[in-house]
Amino acid sequence: MTELRNDSVERRPGPSAASPYADRQPRPASLADVLDRVLDKGIVIAGDIQVNLLDIELLTIKIRLLVASVDRAQEMGIDWWKNDPMLSGRDDKLAEENRELKRRVQELEARRG
Amino acid sequence: MGEPARYLYAVTRGLAPAVLDGVCGQAGERLEMLGVLDLEAVVSTVDLDEFGEDALHENLEHLDWIERTARAHDAVVQACAAAAPTAPMRLATVCLDDQSVRLRLEEWYDELAAALDRVAGREEWSVKVFAHPAPTTAVMEPAEPALAGGAAYLRRKKAATEERRAAEARSLRAVEAVDRELRGISVAARHLRAQDPRLSGHAGTMLLNAAYLVEAGDARRFTELVAELVRTHPGVSIGCDGPWPPYSFATLDRS
Repeated sequence: MTELRNDSVERRPGPSAASPYADRQPRPASLADVLDRVLDKGIVIAGDIQVNLLDIELLTIKIRLLVASVDRAQEMGIDWWKNDPMLSGRDDKLAEENRELKRRVQELEARRG
Repeated sequence: MGEPARYLYAVTRGLAPAVLDGVCGQAGERLEMLGVLDLEAVVSTVDLDEFGEDALHENLEHLDWIERTARAHDAVVQACAAAAPTAPMRLATVCLDDQSVRLRLEEWYDELAAALDRVAGREEWSVKVFAHPAPTTAVMEPAEPALAGGAAYLRRKKAATEERRAAEARSLRAVEAVDRELRGISVAARHLRAQDPRLSGHAGTMLLNAAYLVEAGDARRFTELVAELVRTHPGVSIGCDGPWPPYSFATLDRS
């Protein structure tokens, strides 16, 4: 998504006169916009694999909060979801940090005692 | 490897197979078309270890997986929509085999054909309108706290509240005007849920997250109109993005 103000008109990908789709690969659309469409829109035909749509809706809400602009957030150094095990599936770093803290506490206690 | 299954990206009408050359499906798999009457199902093979029910429940909790899968899905739909009337499927529509995919298309044939009729030769444009961030602190904080009497404080507070309300009203009028103008040259319009302001990356509140279905031949008029609206409504920020495949407008109506 490109934000427009006053006279500046930018958008991506822009249509050319010849074909409106000619210059759209690769498309740099924001993830939030893609998810708005592929998770929330599109035709729902139940396949053989049943996904609980309610679960997805709930998840979508959480994602929506998160990735409305991941690119921008990362630019700003906001990447806490990368450490949220629920969202990233990676809790290694936290676990490691936890272990390190426990080790140091033990060390300090040992010194005092 | 687990059992193979078929992932359904979109249903098209009159898609030339060559369009899919150079486009990959999920996990880089080759795309194929299954014909049913005058429609085609665009599919690829996926592994049930990744796209089976349990696997999906697990995978849908991981943002990295969702992003990869959503972008792969979108890339296929984009390629189709560039070349033929296309009805995009919701993410992760999976059938066990080709016969099962064909049965779905036969069962929903009338509705799919009607959806394709509605979107043929048209494309989706996304327009978002944001309020400018409010300058709250400057209004509320007196320049010299020592001089801030109770009455003066209340006057400032009242003035700030009134100004904020007035600004909100102006923004909403701008949103209505923008939406009305854009509907004027669109075939249809949908309002999507606003993306959350807390993490949108935009300083202002998202006031409108709309999708417009526009005749392909009117795309230039549409973007020119957006540019004009940007000029005539400096009180809000307007963003425009497209063309998208008609995700928001290809819907099944079974009455």
